[in-house]
Amino acid sequence: MTELSDQALLASLRTLWQDIDPVPADLADRVVAAIAVDTLDREWELLSLVAGLETGAVRSDADRLTLQFSDGTTNVLLHVANAAGGKRVDGWVDAQATSIQLLQGTRQWSTQPGEDGRFAFDQIPPGLCHLRLTIQPSSGGHREFRTPAFEV
Amino acid sequence: MVAMSQAHPRSDEPDLPTKGRWQLSADLFERWRAGDALALDDLVRLMTPALWQVVRACGLDHALAEDVVQHTWLTLVRQHEAITEPKAVAGWLLTTARREAWRVGRRQNRADPTDTTEFDWRLPAQESTEDLAARRQAATQLWQAVSRLNERCQQLLRIIAFDERPDYAGIARDLGTAVGSIGPTRLRCLGKLRALLNGEPA
Repeated sequence: MTELSDQALLASLRTLWQDIDPVPADLADRVVAAIAVDTLDREWELLSLVAGLETGAVRSDADRLTLQFSDGTTNVLLHVANAAGGKRVDGWVDAQATSIQLLQGTRQWSTQPGEDGRFAFDQIPPGLCHLRLTIQPSSGGHREFRTPAFEV
Repeated sequence: MVAMSQAHPRSDEPDLPTKGRWQLSADLFERWRAGDALALDDLVRLMTPALWQVVRACGLDHALAEDVVQHTWLTLVRQHEAITEPKAVAGWLLTTARREAWRVGRRQNRADPTDTTEFDWRLPAQESTEDLAARRQAATQLWQAVSRLNERCQQLLRIIAFDERPDYAGIARDLGTAVGSIGPTRLRCLGKLRALLNGEPA
């Protein structure tokens, strides 16, 4: 074998170890599944429904729904409407949110709010959903919230 | 490699420059933190093979190594806010996995060199017979040379082969050696390997 540079030698060592002791084929998939379960099991602070379904009045007609969730400090407002290709969920959050996810069964959609706290999910199939938010309080750290399930 | 080969074909894996992996993992991590949940799945698929190698270098058996890799990912998800340098997430993952592997290995009294009888040659099937034979011969030569290195050299080379920017201070601590001696040890191990490949006596 001719003289190899350190990098070339390390590269052939990488190949060697990947050949003789490969990562189990399904390990990454099992990790992805474990993360999903762990995330579901985690304690999310619950935002309560302040206004919406229980008042009956907010559902102005069959295809438009307004919901408000709060824990007294953090408030989330959602409008659900029919749109092309499914439901459209427009939302507004009054805290610095780093990530917002809409979950429906095993499916999820992720977004981030704009500077004004507005966010939207498009083309959501009708069904039972809940929202998860990761908030960065000005005091630092982060807090994770979820809403109760609601029907879109 | 059925499921994984769709996203990251295994045949590309050995040639994937570690620098690309470093940058790509930083991009995926930042996308995930910004709310793209699927970026985390890609990050897991990208980095799990390297984590596996580093954990196995610490002498854990298959089952323990799998546990440590999984633990590393769950730690990332739970403690991602504490990662002060998102761009160095690959280093964070590799270091976390290595530390946990040493800790578990010590506790289980299993920090022996990896049992080589477990190794199973698995070379890409699509190569022609001659290519395969040539590659197998080169790999056999390399493996014979590596086997003649001492345990510390084997561990160190396996760790740095999969870690573009190794945390020398941490590795030194785990190997029970001085930080300043890691650079020279690395040079010495590579030099020895080169000499063995050239047919010089160990």
